[in-house]
Parts: sequence; C-alpha cells; structure tokens
Amino acid sequence: MVGDMVARLWPSVVLVAALHGPLVLAAEGDELFERKIRPILVERCYSCHSAKVAAPMGGLRLDVPLQNEHSRKRLLLAISYTDPQLRMPPTGKLAQETIDDIRRWIEMGAPDPRANAVGPASAEAGSDNASVARARDYWAFQPVRKPVPPPGAAANPIDRFLDARIGEKKLKVSAPADRRSWLRRVSLDLTGLPPARADLDAYLADVSENADENAVERLLASPHYGERWARHWMDLVRFAETNGHEFDNNKLDAWQYRDYLIRAFNADLPYDQLVREHIAGDLLPNPRLASNGAFLESPIASGAFWFGEVLNSAVDSVKTRADTVDNQLDVAGKAFLGLTVACARCHDHKFDPIPTRDYYSMAGILHSTYLRETVVDSPSRVREIEQAMAKVAARNRDWTPAASGKAELRAGDELFEDFGSGSFVGSWQTAGQAFGQGPVRGYANSAGPGANQLVGSLTSRKFRMPKLWVHVRLAGTKPSAAIKESQSIRVTVVADDHKSAHLVPSGKPGFEWVSARMTKEIGRECYFEIVDRARDGHIVVDKIVISDEKEPPADPSAIASPVRLAEDGVPIPESVWAMTSQDENPHDIRLHIRGSHTNLGDEVPRGFFLEVITGAGQPLVKQGSGRLELADWFARGSNPLTARVMVNRVWKHHFGAGLVRTPDNFGKTGQRPSHPELLDWLAASFVESGWSVKQLHRWMVLSAAYRRSSKADPEAEAADPTNALLARYPVRRLEAEVIRDSMLAVAGTLAPRLFGPSVMPHISRYQDGRGKPKSGPLDGDGRRSIYVQVRRNFLTPMFLAFDYPLPVSTIGARGSSTVPSQALLMLNNEFVLQQAGAWADRASSREPDPARRLERMYVEAFARPPEDWERREALAYADRASWTDLAHALLNSAEFLYVQ
Amino acid sequence: MSSERTHTRQLLSRRETLCRAANGFGGIALLSMLAGESQAATPGPHHAAKAKSVIFLFMDGGPSQMDTFDPKPRLTEENGKPLPFRPPTTVFNISDKVYGSPFTFKQHGQSGAWVSDLFPHVAECVDDMTIIRSMVANHSEHTAANYFIHSGSGFQGRPSMGAWINYGLGSASENLPGFVVLESGLIPPGGMDCFSSGFLPASYQGTLFRKGEHPIADLTPPEGKSAGQRDKLEFIGKLNRGVLDRFGKVSEIEATISNYELAYRMQAAVPDLLDFSSESAATRKLYGLDDPLTEEFGRECLIARRLVERGVRFIECLSPARKGIDRWDQHSNIEKGHRINAKSTDKPIAGLLKDLKSRGLLDDTLVIWGGEFGRTPNAQFPDGGYVSVVGRDHNPFGFTMWMAGGGVKRGCVHGATDEYGYFAVENKVHMHDLHATMLHLLGIDHKRLTYYYGGRNMRLTDVHGNVVTEILA
Repeated sequence: MVGDMVARLWPSVVLVAALHGPLVLAAEGDELFERKIRPILVERCYSCHSAKVAAPMGGLRLDVPLQNEHSRKRLLLAISYTDPQLRMPPTGKLAQETIDDIRRWIEMGAPDPRANAVGPASAEAGSDNASVARARDYWAFQPVRKPVPPPGAAANPIDRFLDARIGEKKLKVSAPADRRSWLRRVSLDLTGLPPARADLDAYLADVSENADENAVERLLASPHYGERWARHWMDLVRFAETNGHEFDNNKLDAWQYRDYLIRAFNADLPYDQLVREHIAGDLLPNPRLASNGAFLESPIASGAFWFGEVLNSAVDSVKTRADTVDNQLDVAGKAFLGLTVACARCHDHKFDPIPTRDYYSMAGILHSTYLRETVVDSPSRVREIEQAMAKVAARNRDWTPAASGKAELRAGDELFEDFGSGSFVGSWQTAGQAFGQGPVRGYANSAGPGANQLVGSLTSRKFRMPKLWVHVRLAGTKPSAAIKESQSIRVTVVADDHKSAHLVPSGKPGFEWVSARMTKEIGRECYFEIVDRARDGHIVVDKIVISDEKEPPADPSAIASPVRLAEDGVPIPESVWAMTSQDENPHDIRLHIRGSHTNLGDEVPRGFFLEVITGAGQPLVKQGSGRLELADWFARGSNPLTARVMVNRVWKHHFGAGLVRTPDNFGKTGQRPSHPELLDWLAASFVESGWSVKQLHRWMVLSAAYRRSSKADPEAEAADPTNALLARYPVRRLEAEVIRDSMLAVAGTLAPRLFGPSVMPHISRYQDGRGKPKSGPLDGDGRRSIYVQVRRNFLTPMFLAFDYPLPVSTIGARGSSTVPSQALLMLNNEFVLQQAGAWADRASSREPDPARRLERMYVEAFARPPEDWERREALAYADRASWTDLAHALLNSAEFLYVQ
Repeated sequence: MSSERTHTRQLLSRRETLCRAANGFGGIALLSMLAGESQAATPGPHHAAKAKSVIFLFMDGGPSQMDTFDPKPRLTEENGKPLPFRPPTTVFNISDKVYGSPFTFKQHGQSGAWVSDLFPHVAECVDDMTIIRSMVANHSEHTAANYFIHSGSGFQGRPSMGAWINYGLGSASENLPGFVVLESGLIPPGGMDCFSSGFLPASYQGTLFRKGEHPIADLTPPEGKSAGQRDKLEFIGKLNRGVLDRFGKVSEIEATISNYELAYRMQAAVPDLLDFSSESAATRKLYGLDDPLTEEFGRECLIARRLVERGVRFIECLSPARKGIDRWDQHSNIEKGHRINAKSTDKPIAGLLKDLKSRGLLDDTLVIWGGEFGRTPNAQFPDGGYVSVVGRDHNPFGFTMWMAGGGVKRGCVHGATDEYGYFAVENKVHMHDLHATMLHLLGIDHKRLTYYYGGRNMRLTDVHGNVVTEILA
C-alpha cells in the first residue's frame, strides 16, 4: 500500500526545527513564501491540490496553510522523489533549487501569510457547530411527542390517524378481507408459517367478539413467533456464521446469537434492554440470566458487532481494523438509529448533521472493543461446577507434576511464555474453569484441576508477530474435528481477528514441540488462544517460543506428562460458549483525514452521542471503552430515533412498507414519514408500554387497516398509486425463508424443533469456490430456514433468487424482485420437487378420496377450499399427470408465493 | 440524490417501471416499488455506444507483467542483485533480489508491441489491441483484489461490473441472462460474490455456466421429469389467472405469470447456445477445441462469441483449472506455471479475437484481458514450504491489462512502469479508470450510472475514475 510505505519512511525524513523565534522569522518567511513558494505551488500543485478540484488528491490542499507537521513532512518527501510511490509533482521533479527553497521554508515552520487572509480555511475536518445546531430542526432529531389521535369512529388509534388522511383525500377504502385471508396474512406475518388446518378451523369456529384477539395471542405465544422475528433482526446485524473472504472460515458459536434472538423475541424482552445488550451486554452490571439459570443471556448479544467479513490475510492491520470498526458503526448507526453514520468516516456527512468528529468519537469506542470466544456460564453454574469438582478424587485434584525445565534459547528465539506458577491475572485472560486460576509448576494445564470434562480457554495479550516461526511445547488429547478452527483442543494464533494458525497435540504421550510458520501473520496484530472445549480431553502447554528458526529449541528436561487422570464418574455440568465483545486497552483515536489511516488528524475524545441530538458539550466517556454509556444513550427513551426506528421496522413488516419507507435511513436522503403523527404516537406508546414489541404487533394487526382486502378501488388506486395511505392492504411476495418453510409446512416435513447448532446448507454442483463446505441434506433435515447455517460465500441459491440479503450491512427492507430465475427454480429445483412429492404422498395416504384430498391440499396451501372451476381443473390435471405434479403446480401458484 | 427525485421515481406508474426495468433474462423483471431505497429505472445509455457487449478474460491469480507484455531488460541485467529501493509490504515476506524474466520478448505486428514467447498467438493480434502497461489497483491480496476488479470495492457485497452494465443498459438478449460467467472448474477467491448483484436487484447477478451438459442450475427438470412440462405450465397459468381475479390486478403477479412463459423459452435457448454443430471444423480448430490443453478455454471463448451474437451484455471467461499449479498465482515456479497457463489460453484468446474480427463483431465487442494485480520484479525464493522453485509475489502498484475492439485504439501501448516494472509511473490507469473507460465505450457516463443505497448514490467507480481518452479510437 502506498500509504503504508509512506508511513514507514517518515521517520527517516529528518527535519531541522526552527532555531529562531517565530516573530523574528515572520517577515522573512512571508517574503520567501510570496517570492518563491507560492508561485511554484500555483504553477505545479494547485491543479490537483486546491479548491479548484472537487476532491483534492490525497486529501491535501496547498492553497491553504499546511495543516500540520504531518502534511509538511509528506510534502517534503514527495518532492524529494526518494520514495518510488510518492513522487510529486507527477509530471517531473522540481528543480533542486526549488526543492531547497521549499525545504528551507518548511524548516522555518512554513510561515504562511494566507493564514491571515479573509475567507474560508480548510474544512478538511471538524464540524461547523452552527450548522449542526440548525439541523436539529429536522423532524427526525426532534423529541418524540405523543399526539392525540384525530377524532373518528375507529376504536384503534392507528385507524384514526390513517382514516383522517384517507378522509382528506376522499379515498374509498377496500372492504375487509375474508376471515381466511386475514388468518393466513397474520399467521405468515407473526410466525412465518401458513396457518395449520386445525388452527384455521378453530379460528373459524370461534364466533366470539374476541376471535381475532384470541388468534393473535395464540400466534404471539407460539415459539415460531420468535423464529420469524429473530430473522428480521438478523437482516439488520448482517448475521453470518462464517468470515467470508478467501476461505470462509467459521465464526464459532455464532448460532448462539440466533438462539438468543429467538428467546428474546419470544419472551418479549423490552426493546431498550435488547439494544443495551447488543451494545454492551458483556458489561452490564446486572446481566440477564437465561430462563434455565445456567448461563448469561446479555453478553451473547454483544457478539453482534462481529458478524462482518474478516480478512484471512490482511496486509495492513491498522487499515483492517479501521475497516472493521467502520462496518460496526455503519451497522449500529443504521440498525438502532436509522442513520448512515458511516458516511462521516471520510468527511462531515454531506446531508446529515454528523461531523467527522462525531464519527471518530464513537469509532474510538469500538477501537477499544475486541471479539472474544468465551464461556458465559452464570454464577450459579460456576458454583455447580465447583461443587462437582470438589467430588473429584483428591489424588487427581491435588496431584502436582514435576516442575518444567528451562528452555534452552538460541539467538533468534524469543520466549513468549514459559508459564511459572501463581496466577494468570495480568498475563492471560481465562474463560471457563479448565485452566484453574493459574499455571502450576510451569504449565498451563486444562486438566490441572483434575478432570477432562472441564472446558475453558486462555487468551494472551495482543502483540505484533515479530518472527517467522512459532514453536509451542505442548501435550494433550488429539482433537477430532476436521475443520481447523472448530477443533476442540488447540493453540490458535489469531491475526487481525482471523483464527489463522492452529497448533494441536498429536495425542502421543508426553510433550512435543508443534510449530507453525507465520508466513501471513508476521507483522500483524496477533494473540494466542489456548482452548479446551472438549468434554473428554485436555491440553497442557509448557512454553511458547517465537523464533527466526524453523526448528524448535532443544527439548528441556521434564516429566513425560504432567497429567494424572482417572475418570471417576463425577459428572461436571456443561458450560455455554459464545462470541462476545470485551473491552480492551481503552483509548481515543485520531481523526482519519478523508478516511485514511495514514493521514491522521487530531485525537478525538471518545464520546457516546451525536451532537445534533444531544447538543455540544456532553460528558465524554468515563470508564472502559464507553460502550456502557453508548448503550445507555441508544436505549434512552428520550433518544428521538431509537423508538421511531423500531416501530417503523415493525410497521414495515406488517404493512409492506414503513411509514418512513427508508427504514435504515431517517436522515435527509431518506424519505419523510407518510404519517408523522402516527409514527410518533406509536413511538411514544411503545416506550410507555415498556418497549413491548408484542404490544406493537397487537396494535397493528388488530387494526381495521390491517384487515382490509388487497383488492383496490380503482379511483383510490389512481389517486394513491403507491398505496401510501393504505386504503387497501398491499399484496406482498413472501420472503425466501417463508417460501421454503411454507413448503415444509404444507408437505408435513417441517421439523418443529427449536434452537441448536445450525444445519449445514445443501451445496449443489453449481456452487463452488474456496472454503466449500461439505453439503448438508437437501431438505435441511426439515429445519426452518433460520437454522440453515449462513455461510457467507455459500449462501443458498434459492434464498438469493428470492432476494435474501447479503450479510454485509444493515438491510431493513429487502428487495422483492420478480424474475424468471424464480420460475425456473420453482419448476426444476430438486428441493421443490422433493417437497411436492412428500406433500402428495402424505395427502394421498391421509385422504383416499380425490375431491377431499384436493380440498385438504388447498386449505393447507391457501387456507381456503378450491372453487368449483379449480376443483374441476385440478382433478383433471392430477388424473392426466400425477398428484405430485399437482402438488408441484400448487407450490408454483402465485397464491402460494404471495400473501394478500 | 435529492429526496424529490426519489419521490418522482416512486410516482412512476408501476407499468412504466415494468417497461423500463427490462433486464436480466431479457424479459420482464418487475422491481418492487415498496422496497423504499431500491427503486430502479434503466439509467442509460447516456451517449452513443461504441461497444454493445464486453468479454472479460479474467486471468485469476495475477499474471506477471514483466513476463508477458512489459519487458524489463534491467531485471535480466541485475538478476540476483537487490532492488535499489525498499519494496512495499507484500503478502509474503519475500526477498529483495531482482529476478530477470525467464521468457524471451520480441516485437510484433505493425505496431511493434513487445510480447513474450508465452503468447505466440495473441502476439499475432497486437495490431488490434491496446496494451495498458500502467494499471494500478488497491489491494495486495486475492480476495479483496478480486472484489475490487469486479466491483470497484475491496469488500464483499458490491455489484459486479456485469451487473452494473445490465442495470444500466438492460439486456439485448431475449432468452438468456445478461451477465454470464463461464468456468472450467476454477472459481476465484471471493467466490460467487465476485459476480454478485450486490445491492442491485437479484436479477442482475452473474449466472454461472458450468462445464458439461447441464450448465445452469435449475434450468431443466431432473432426469425423467421433463415430460408434461408444457401441460404443467398451462395448468399453473390457469391457477394464476384465478389468483389475479382473487387478489386484484397486481402487476407483480402479472410479471410472475409472464416469467413462467419466459422460463419455458429459456429452457430451449441454452441447449441451442451450446450446440456447436453449426460451427465449422476450421472455427473449432481456431479456438483450439481439437487440443485437450486448449479445449476448455477454447470452449469458453467460443461460447462467449455465441453469447455476443445473442445480445448478452457481459460475459466473463474464467481461467481453467490446471493440475499442479494454482491459477496464475505463481509464488513458486513462475516459469512452469505461467507456461502452462499461457498455453491453455493463448490460442483460444487469439482465436476469439480473429473470429470476432472476421465476423465483424470486434468493432462493437470490447474484449478485456487481465488479472486482479500483477507480480513483483523481486523473487520469492524456495522457503522449504510453500515455494519450491523461484516465483513472484503480488503487485497491485503497476501491471498490465489489455483491451481489444469495442472502440479502443488498435496497435496501441499505453502507459509505463518504472525500469524494474514495480510501479506504474507514466499515464497511470487506475482500476477505477478502466471501469470508467469500459462504461464510456458502452455509452454510459460512469458518474451517472448510480443506484441509491445506504443513504447515497452508489457507483461502480465510487467517487473516482476518469475515462482514459488517450486509448479511445
């Protein structure tokens, strides 16, 4: 990288400090500038480096005084023509005399009379406070107020707001939909599954006033509700279970987050708490316990920062980190605030009042945050494990190995760790209990406390990999998994967040040296993980040596094995692993001019607010990374965006489009709300309800607007072609996962089981590339689509054809395209044919009479019996083709793929 | 984009959008009006086009410039000596020793362009080519570099250039996808996301044509299930007309109905495309179909020509897999690896250029050759591990790509690297510039080919790119 090269060369540019006081030099300097420097700048530099061009090259302007030492050094380097990558002017080297003049001028401190000139100075960075204050008038930054619903006949306030606007336009609203259509609509909306026949019958039989409420309560209480709404949320956090990039390695434990979401939605976790846990779940003083009491829920949400792409061979650690943080801020800004904060990475936001300074004050928080593979056992589970361990035979527990020998180091060796005795505190972070509190007699020993069943890990400090070889002296159980990063026993080198190299025991008795070449890791930010996630094994690490030598050092004398284990049948309770965030080395970062990590401006103190919302002069971060304060500010009821953005998302999923049709962008380039008072009424009521998402559903799906038929009144259609006023209910195509899940549901092949590790996706012969996984079953074991592993580089083609979002950034509104490849897929895809066959077989075996069989299939697929003409046509078709063909045709019907 | 314009777009009638959004498989692709940020209207062309189609010969792995089209005698003179400057960080921690090219260069054609003995057949075509020796890209490792050359961004998830072009121009093909990727067993690092439609509608994504009898997924029913397809389609059509009565006249559903008809026609179009029986023996020989070494890439090139004839906008031919070597990525044994790669592609590429020319297709077909980056002039020596014989590392700072046809100059060499071939020093052409130039030749102003996403108008060239006017014919 050009910048990287430049950064390394700077120190060699020697600058002579000005020897005289600035006052003495002022006149002389000005004269030198006007006589020699300015003409050259105008003639040779301004064409690329001035306000004349929209985007000055390299972010450098020479028509204003040089900003800082940094740009002065850079200028000198460039004109010296010594760096093959930075030679300026590009059209030819300046005369030596001119270069000497510029050098002399810079040595004088670059005196610049232009600094006193009237006119705008450089606006490279920093905010214009006045404009930010003015921008506070924009609707989205105004506090939420709860408007009084307009007068009207409707009981539901939502209808009063909508009816008022429809009344103004004198539109005729569509008639209410029939009960079957409504139930199919609300079932698909709340659970992502068509209504089961029994549920349809029960609803139709319920003639009470509360029939609709009863149906909605049943759906909200269904565990499938959480599966449906967790998936919507996963679109916002670009959920993926692999790193993408070249080899698409696994993100361990990512699925735990999916289960966290399902549980959270099912339990109607107050939304402000959900937000807090996403930003700082690992830091909350009172983390939330799982319902079984065994593990902590809150930290799991903080893993959501880390679902982005991870480079397996980053060339530049600093840039890689800056890119990761940018993606994290982009997602957090869009998902929670509906703001494109990341636009302010390179320049003050062009449309919204977000100065670059706000961006870097928040970026500092995430630069102080790291990913951690850890154990999230609850305090009671920790105690249970301790109590079980107390029952392990004393001969195992208290047995001490002979002390480890000293390493014989060579000239090129660096001893990274030799494990003494005492405590890990200050050198290694522990997770779980396998490694105890500290090393014993020179070993980190996951069987130290005396049982193979214990799990845990050690994580080292971060460092730049200095040499080409890593040698680890270790002993232990050979892990079984074939996929490297999933091996349960390993020493892993993590380079720039990528689990890059794995050193594992061969399983032979006694110690051995295991080596890895740091070809791609050298020079990058690394740390070691020593991991034992096996319930039936252990690892013992003696030394870690980083070396210039390919061969490991000589073997120090030591006992054959420091482990004595006799399994004695004491069951140790299990631990739960998760990917979480953690604070580390909290620090402020410098502003990146034009987004470049090689062109740094002033340090920006970490802050947890946007000036446009809170005003200037808010307190800065006081403790740790600042995520705790950031979480609190995001989740505060007075934040004008948090509640508005969320109620709009829920609205979008019920009515096809948000009240703000750009759900991830409430800024000036987004759209204005179609019903601002309704939006605010919902937001205020949402906060009043204790941030209950289920309450939002009740208000929305029990409204008259939600019940309307999708058949439009022609005049209303002409007056409101985008249906912004909702005089009718919009026809919507089902999402990819709902189409697949509906097929499983009607075919009777759906496995209703919740939770657990993901099922591998089916990989067809048309999917290829590096990191190609072993294919999972064609039908995904009948699991709902949310349980199909999200492999970044191997997304399921059927999902992609139906606009499944790429997991790269927040997607609050998926596309909904209609293309011939969808028809081809529905006609020819193996999975669709398989499900059609299963459906036909099942219907045939349960219902021998063809007419009743057909009726049953219609009800399963469309929640209605066939009309006469359909019955005639379908039975005739099944006769001349087959019932499987008929089932297949019904799955291809637009009525199956759309909801009205 | 101003929000006013967003509104204007929203107010276009559904039917109007339907007509304007013709794309993808050439037929009706209706884009949701409800998706908020993803409205679309065909935004091109902006001026008269020189090229109608692009064939991108992607040399996955990064061919070496100083071993192919950019001779550096100084490397031979200083073979084994250290470079006189400190080279930038590369992917591997390699030596600073100069490595002279093991290949011999000669001048060719009227233009006298230099080509190494790796490409004897392509060398015969230099008078139809513009060789750009001053390419610059942003990334030193494969995956980011592959995303970058394809989408103008080093990150996953941006639309590939084939998607942008089809979004901009629509497809001229009735029954075939507008963006086709031909492969012979090798998908580049970064995977299918190199051919992604990113935030553009799914219809613009590249369709992978695999080698073999069933090139496209789900094109035809599995064995033994194709009988009765016509009858089934007619029955589905009846059901769907009933749905229109039931749901109201919804244009998405009307589009769905038409798509089933199109799907049926496509099932016939693909076998027709792949049926070479109308190609003469001479043509097959021209592409090297008679030689097992060149057969795979020759087939890709011949299909590419046939796709151009059928109006497909963007065709990408991927390098074939070769046993024992890793694409063009010769960290080790560049002499052997580049020789095998060149032999596998040289004759087919020359065949394609000659065939396009003789059929009068070269004038409006732009052929682009190149990899995601070039290679270093300094050597990567055997290290007891990955490298067994001397090779070269990655180099995005100066490398060669070439173009032919479609409105670029004939017999032109543009730009230069320094005397070691490390850095582009004269008339630098950044990858963004190449993208801008390609779009220009297709009649598109790269600054106006935009799609509103994530709060701003996105472009293939981001906020960069200049049309390289010096290479326009």
